Amino acid sequence: MSQCRKRCKRQLTKVARYFYRFVTGTLTQDSIEDDFELSTVCHRPEGLDKLQEQTKFTKKELQVLYRGFKNECPSGVVNEETFKHIYSQFFPQGDSSTYAHFLFEAFDTNKNGSVSFEDFVAGLSIILRGSINDRLNWAFNLYDLNKDGCITKEEMMDIMRSIYDMMGKYTYPCMQDDAPREHVENFFQKMDRNQDGVVTIEEFIESCQKDENIMQSMQLFDNVI
Amino acid sequence: MAAGVAAWLPFARAAAIGWMPVASAPMPAPPRDKRRTQDGLIILNVSGSRFQTWRNTLERYPDTLLGSTERDFFYHEETNEYFFDRDPDIFRHILNFYRTGKLHYPRHECISAYDEELAFFGIIPEIIGDCCYEEYKDRRRENAERIEDDEDKDNSNDLPPPDMSFRETMWRAFENPHTSTMALVFYYVTGFFIAVSVMANVVETVPCGKTQNRVEMSCGDRYALAFFCLDTACVMIFTVEYLLRLMAAPNRFKFVKSVMSVIDVVAIMPYYIGLVMSDNEDVSGAFVTLRVFRVFRIFKFSRHSAGLRILGYTLKSCASELGFLLFSLTMAIIIFATVMFYAEKGSTASKFTSIPAAFWYTIVTMTTLGYGDMVPKTIVGKVFGSICSLSGVLVIALPVPVIVSNFSRIYHQSQRAEKRRAQKKTRLARIHATKSGGTNAYLQYKRNGLLAETEEEACKEAGQALVCKANPVFETEHHHLLHCLEKTTNHEFVDEQTFKSSCLEVSMVKAPSRSSSISSATSGGGGGLSSCCSRRNKRKSFTVSNANMAGRRGSVQELSTIQIRERPITNSRSSLNAKFDETVRLNSEPPYLTAAVISMPTPPVTTPEGDESASTPDFLQSNIVRVSAL
Repeated sequence: MSQCRKRCKRQLTKVARYFYRFVTGTLTQDSIEDDFELSTVCHRPEGLDKLQEQTKFTKKELQVLYRGFKNECPSGVVNEETFKHIYSQFFPQGDSSTYAHFLFEAFDTNKNGSVSFEDFVAGLSIILRGSINDRLNWAFNLYDLNKDGCITKEEMMDIMRSIYDMMGKYTYPCMQDDAPREHVENFFQKMDRNQDGVVTIEEFIESCQKDENIMQSMQLFDNVI
Repeated sequence: MAAGVAAWLPFARAAAIGWMPVASAPMPAPPRDKRRTQDGLIILNVSGSRFQTWRNTLERYPDTLLGSTERDFFYHEETNEYFFDRDPDIFRHILNFYRTGKLHYPRHECISAYDEELAFFGIIPEIIGDCCYEEYKDRRRENAERIEDDEDKDNSNDLPPPDMSFRETMWRAFENPHTSTMALVFYYVTGFFIAVSVMANVVETVPCGKTQNRVEMSCGDRYALAFFCLDTACVMIFTVEYLLRLMAAPNRFKFVKSVMSVIDVVAIMPYYIGLVMSDNEDVSGAFVTLRVFRVFRIFKFSRHSAGLRILGYTLKSCASELGFLLFSLTMAIIIFATVMFYAEKGSTASKFTSIPAAFWYTIVTMTTLGYGDMVPKTIVGKVFGSICSLSGVLVIALPVPVIVSNFSRIYHQSQRAEKRRAQKKTRLARIHATKSGGTNAYLQYKRNGLLAETEEEACKEAGQALVCKANPVFETEHHHLLHCLEKTTNHEFVDEQTFKSSCLEVSMVKAPSRSSSISSATSGGGGGLSSCCSRRNKRKSFTVSNANMAGRRGSVQELSTIQIRERPITNSRSSLNAKFDETVRLNSEPPYLTAAVISMPTPPVTTPEGDESASTPDFLQSNIVRVSAL
């Protein structure tokens, strides 16, 4: 009750102030200046040498990566919006925001809502310079949305739907609505050894290692940078 | 794709790892990275200012000059950099475009210079960022209008091709009264009669004495015959004028549809209708109404007054603002009329009998006229009446500045056009002087060059020969070129005075096509020349050089050639001692003389000789006045 009264009083004072300003003619919008103390947070990454130790990139590669990173994110960290925006530039036809969201979750290892250059480079180092097992681990981490160590059918459905969303509407043959579901069924059939409805990390790695296509596709990442 | 995110492509490709385990088909082979070039620095030297950037930055936009292999043409090996002989200030913006992906337009730069740079570097202006795009488009539009204005005025001002048909001469005379005295006379006569007619209409209604039975009579009734005669005379003149215009119009249908012609017709129609249905009692009422249309004659003045035309054009261009003004006024009128009606309903003997009746009060109050024939009597009515007048001021005051600024812009534009036209004459005169200077240089060289064949002459003319030697290599080669042309066509170049003096003896041959005869809108020299000859030879047309003049060249910027007559060598010798500024008097009768001088070239489309003769004299002027577009 007192809260209500307090709120009423606050509203009243605001209205009175408004009328006073109206009468005296200074109806400036003060709120703009309040917003102006933007979060001009600037994050600087650790030294080049340290990063070089932590990742498997050479100095030159790190330089190139950082220049690109800083160009797009001058503040030094990427938030999810920017991440989604950047990623959507590569897929103009479809909607890549969901997949970008999952990626963001995967890159943001310390779960603070922003990806710094160290996180970025750490992730890239695993994907581009890591061993096949590391890569598979990273992929599993991406799929495991709640990070509980196993992929359920729902998680896989989400991932699959996000991938299919990136294709957009105009595909050949026409995108059926149950295409993701079918795909997930196939996946689980292939991966789920003990048919318990979830895929654990061991099952995942084992199945991938048996699959020739997947092994070969993992090699693709060697020459990306 | 934005430039910046090109750097994130490795990340996007890495992110594809999420698709691999779920892929339903094997992945395609990755592209062989042929040019795994190191991302090195490139040095771009633009007129001395060194810019450096990463190679990758430039290659983000492979369809521009800097991003493609086209830049190799500018590679300067000695200094291991790319040299561009362009404006470094504008280049800064272009390079920023590569860096940030956004092209900005610097407000202090000239729009044509900027456009040229963009065109050179292969960047389309449409990608200018939103922050600068509007400004860019505005400036561009202004510039285009300005140039268009110039061309239009030039077109109307240049001297008429001498072989226009009578119809065309008449049309020119109508459209531009300053072309000939006849046209001017006609212009003033019609103006006078418009004024007379309007005055007569006005005076007709003035009361002018009384009849026997004390009835006030207007002048129109008293001197009915006189006014009728006056009206007839005016209408006859207007009719004749209209018919003449109709006859002379190049496109009759378009003319009939134009506003001025409609005004003309409406101005004279009442008279004829009156003639036709005179003394018919039941339609005389309609006839009286028709006489109102006679006042439209006053609009005929807009042909005579540029200011009126500007006003009309302004109103047309502000149509939306006017519409908004009307709409908001109507809304306000309805609101206030309703309020006033209900407020005044109670009072006795109120004039506010209905809401439409209250409209009159509202309009009079909102425009602050306040006739006072309707006033509110109740207090509530007075309160709302005052609110009404206050808001009226506001509502009217808002769209008016927009209209005013529009009018001001258009007015200043036309003023600028006038000023430019006046300046153009002096500018062209100066350009003509420098051009003839260039021609003179060649002629002087010729005399010296012919001289230099023998040693003695060279010594004798040591002074002039020195001048000859001091000429830069460019000039000597250019003069040699002109000399070759002379030998080819077996004619010689002469200067203007010489030509003018023999102008009268030109044997005229009708030009093959009208468009190929002299029309020198842009070249002062050509214009001066043709004006000279056209004045002396009013109706004769000019011979056209065998070398050029295609009928296809209908554009203003065309070549008309003054050909030179044969001149025996002896003359040139004898003219050696003559001072250069004196005209070389050619004593022998010119066997054949045609006219040729070059104005701004469009790429010539005729024989090669014609091409040369077209291009080379422009080169003459190119080092003095950059009018050539070669």
